[in-house]
Amino acid sequence: MSERIFDLPDVGEGLTEAEIVEWKVAVGDVVALNQPIVDIETAKATVELPSPFAGTVVALHGAVGDVIEVDKPLITFEVGGSEAAAPEVAAKSDEAPESETAAAPEEKKREAVLIGYGVADEDALPTRRHRRQGPSAPPPSAPTPTPVQATPGLAPRSTPPVRLYAKQHGLDIATMTGSGRDGLITRDDVERALAGTGAARPGAAIAAPTTTSRFVGHDLAPWDAGPAEERIPVRGVLRAMSEAMVQSAFSAPHAAVWVRVDVTRTMDLLASLKVHPGLEGLRLSPMTITALALCDAARHYPGVNSSFDDAAQEVIVRRTINLGIAADTPKGLTVPNIKGADRLDLVGMAAAINQLVDKARTNATTPNEMIGTTISITNVGPFGVDAAIPILPPGTGAILAIGTVAPTPWVVNGEVVVRQVMEIALSFDHRMIDGAMASRVLGHVARFIADPAPAMIVG
Amino acid sequence: MATTTMTMAKALNEGLRRAMEKNPKVLLMGEDIGKLGGVFRITDGLQKDFGEDRVIDAPLAESAIVGTAVGLAVRGYRTVVEMQFDGFVYPAFDQIVSQVAKLHKRTDGVYTMALVIRLPFQGGIGAIEHHSESPEAYFAHTAGLRVVSCSTPHDAYWMIQQSIAHDDPIVFCEPKSRYWEKGEVDLETTSRGLFDAEVRREGADVSVIAYGAMVKTALKAAETAASEGVSVEVVDARSLAPLDVETMAASVEKTGRLVVVGESPRTASIGSEIVATLSERCFYSLRAPGMRVSGYHVPYPPTRIEEDFRPTPDRVLDAIDRVMGYES
Amino acid sequence: MDDQLVQLLTPEGERVAHPEYESTLGGDEIFGLYRDMVIVRRMCNESTSLQRQGQLALWAPVQGQEAAQIGPGRAMHPMDFSFPTYREHGIAWCRGVPPADMLRLFRAVSNGGWDPQKYRHSVPTVVLGNQTLHAVGYAMGVQRDGADEAVLTFFGDGASSQGDVLEAFVWAASFNAPIVFLCQNNQWAISEPSSLQSKIPLYHRAQGFGFPGVRVDGNDVLAMYEVSRRALDAARVGGGPTLIEAYTYRMGAHTTSDDPTRYRIDAEVEVWKHRDPIERVKALLAREYKKKTAAFDEVAAEADAIATKLREDVLAMDRPDPITMFDHAYAAPHPLIDEGRQEMIDLGVSAGVS
Repeated sequence: MSERIFDLPDVGEGLTEAEIVEWKVAVGDVVALNQPIVDIETAKATVELPSPFAGTVVALHGAVGDVIEVDKPLITFEVGGSEAAAPEVAAKSDEAPESETAAAPEEKKREAVLIGYGVADEDALPTRRHRRQGPSAPPPSAPTPTPVQATPGLAPRSTPPVRLYAKQHGLDIATMTGSGRDGLITRDDVERALAGTGAARPGAAIAAPTTTSRFVGHDLAPWDAGPAEERIPVRGVLRAMSEAMVQSAFSAPHAAVWVRVDVTRTMDLLASLKVHPGLEGLRLSPMTITALALCDAARHYPGVNSSFDDAAQEVIVRRTINLGIAADTPKGLTVPNIKGADRLDLVGMAAAINQLVDKARTNATTPNEMIGTTISITNVGPFGVDAAIPILPPGTGAILAIGTVAPTPWVVNGEVVVRQVMEIALSFDHRMIDGAMASRVLGHVARFIADPAPAMIVG
Repeated sequence: MATTTMTMAKALNEGLRRAMEKNPKVLLMGEDIGKLGGVFRITDGLQKDFGEDRVIDAPLAESAIVGTAVGLAVRGYRTVVEMQFDGFVYPAFDQIVSQVAKLHKRTDGVYTMALVIRLPFQGGIGAIEHHSESPEAYFAHTAGLRVVSCSTPHDAYWMIQQSIAHDDPIVFCEPKSRYWEKGEVDLETTSRGLFDAEVRREGADVSVIAYGAMVKTALKAAETAASEGVSVEVVDARSLAPLDVETMAASVEKTGRLVVVGESPRTASIGSEIVATLSERCFYSLRAPGMRVSGYHVPYPPTRIEEDFRPTPDRVLDAIDRVMGYES
Repeated sequence: MDDQLVQLLTPEGERVAHPEYESTLGGDEIFGLYRDMVIVRRMCNESTSLQRQGQLALWAPVQGQEAAQIGPGRAMHPMDFSFPTYREHGIAWCRGVPPADMLRLFRAVSNGGWDPQKYRHSVPTVVLGNQTLHAVGYAMGVQRDGADEAVLTFFGDGASSQGDVLEAFVWAASFNAPIVFLCQNNQWAISEPSSLQSKIPLYHRAQGFGFPGVRVDGNDVLAMYEVSRRALDAARVGGGPTLIEAYTYRMGAHTTSDDPTRYRIDAEVEVWKHRDPIERVKALLAREYKKKTAAFDEVAAEADAIATKLREDVLAMDRPDPITMFDHAYAAPHPLIDEGRQEMIDLGVSAGVS
């Protein structure tokens, strides 16, 4: 003999509860299989329930009018041992009740719900039954020990937010090395690349230069080969330059004027002179013409060829031009000068400049050539630069910088045409040279190089 | 504040009643909806109160039920047709797709197909075959139709009225496994539009989008996830066509992760559409691909094993595990 | 009742003559029909109890329609094929389907339940009317094979409104298919009376489609047998389709989810109680064939034993391994099937044996 509980079944496709309308049996009654035991009312119908057991009624789990939920006990029977055919409705007819397998708790509840009828009691089902095992589980997310370079031909592996982040910071994700699984480029990888720390250096897609370069009179080792930090003693030319620049910069108030000039006629003249039989081997350049122009301007405005004697509180104006030519030499920047450049004609100027530059490059500059500069000229054109505002060599009042000559849209006779244009800039010591003078000087130079032939002939 | 507790079935009943009171042109047609009040009692009492002319017991022909509703619409009536079960809508599929969806356009806007097709859908009631289908994707795919699904009694009450008032044809999907669940219904106001999605639970780590019966499943999964330290935001899609992309995108942009839950098989499902749309819209926010939790690619199984076909909270959690497991 | 109704046995169990039909059965055969009906009714009642006890998801009772099914069931030849709805438990019994197999659908462990080719009885069709088209197609196959077979398909008064059924009539007529359409007009389609489906007797429709229709007292197993036999024989020899309307009554609910008290009156049910198919045959057997109580008791006992065995078998029907949902979804391998199976194994839902 054993007790069997009959839970209220769902009798109509999705019902959740029913009201007891009438009991057909009482506690103590002996009941046959399928004998009517109760009338219940659901949202859909009034239904008579037949007994699932043959046995004796032990308990009724509600009174008339009570609402019982589906799957909750309705009536308990005591069932004889001989009634083997009587089903244990609430029992687990196809699962061992004490099963400990992972699936068991859910299966057990399934039986109590009665063959999946009605709405399964979702609240009673365990929510977390199982975590995925097997190959599709993502492996634990530890970074791979060695960062992996992107495979050529495949899109670099990363996620949209990380890609965006890299792009917004100007980094090409394709150049990066990923430390995540299978070379995944992670946000950390991008952060590292941005911080530039040594921990994970971005893999370079472009090979670093392997040549040395000159700096302050030294050959510097290539980027990848040289030390992270290199110290060079301030000596010799470097010292001279740095001291001179400091002294000049912090004693003379520098100002500058600049202008772009249509130098097409200069370039044409130079081209024609280049092929002139009598001028073979003479290196002519815009620098040559501009040097003549500056000297001419200084003859017109001698005040630009001056220096400020702070000790004597006097401005010294000179009527001889020792024209300093800035030269880029192996030892560094030097500015040797051409004595009496104002008396040179085109050929003479060319020869003098060339000789000066050649000697400077071969370290053959004499000490005499290094002193007495009255006005200077520097050419940044060979570097592709438009202009410069140079620092004055100490003891001078002005320095003219000329830049690269480039084909440029220009207005000629009301029409836009392409002309050879060069920018020139005049830095000056504003203690004695004012903007008006500087502008006049610069304007003179500009007009000279805009139309050099008459200027050279007539003046 | 007229807030009351009622089952979804009752809420639908009340909503239909309100709509019929407001507009004498609203008719109901379906099998067993009159005298019996519908096999789920959704239309209980309505024929008694509104008469046989307005609550029509139809002969057993689904194609004819929809086809005649088309004609009634041409005549200016707004018919709410009931397909007794999702699996029985297919005889009407031709009328729905060929006519209901297309007549407004075919007549350059002259015919208004203002009808509502009510479908008890999804499974979970232990029924026999054809009573647990999820056909919503077929209708979402058909231009000219709109498709919505309520998940609570409050939404059921309001969305059925809003659908009836709308001039476009609406396939109204009712999760039959939720018919008898009770909830609070505000009878006076609602803040939601018919095509708005709704955030049912706020979270920060992953957006789980669901509809119909699966909203509760998603909420259950979210509870367990919270106890495991994962903060899940649950969004009730409510409108399957058109999708409320703004609300969904705002959620995904916040969390960076997306799981969509639906009962229908995965291939060409509503979930697939949501994932594709949000992948495009939220590309730079996604820390993992969007995952779909769905029924398997088999005919709906005998319901004795339906709980292993329908997404369970466990399977939703599995998808959450997977999206959380992606590095970024 | 309609005077066109074919009847050979009154509700009181007395034979009546009919101009076109006569009973050709002997005492033993009639007793066999009685036994069939008693067993089917007993099994049906047990099934209803099982549902009320939570052991079946649903049950569609056949109570009151036993004669409408046993008659044609026993008129079928072994090689004939039948296409049922979901309520033809009597036909399934006649075709030899094991009772427990009939319940697998309602136990929700299967969407079919038995091997249709083995029993030459198709699996149930729940969507109304679909099976009538299948039956006509099968009949067209029989034609092309030149086989000496007939096809029998069933539908109710409600389903007679479905387009599929009317299309089946068109096909059957156009192709002269060897098919018998058997409409069990049990007066109700859930809550809808048959008058909603048709303004004229249903058997008249056949004429509109160009083939004969006949209305039979569906509770008269002798008439059902004879009319079915003639129609099947005609089909078999190329005589084309017939519509038989079995005029009967659904004594119970549509299914166990239904409550008929909401839409029909008890008085109507009472009237039909007096037309019970089993009682009238019992009366005939007692009076004409001198069957004694012992003989009837023996049948009752046999029916009880079958019901008890049915109960045991049903209770032993286990929940299938969920992985079986993938079996036979496709005839050929399919990647999504493999994927689904694997997921179930990975999630620990199934050990993977199926």
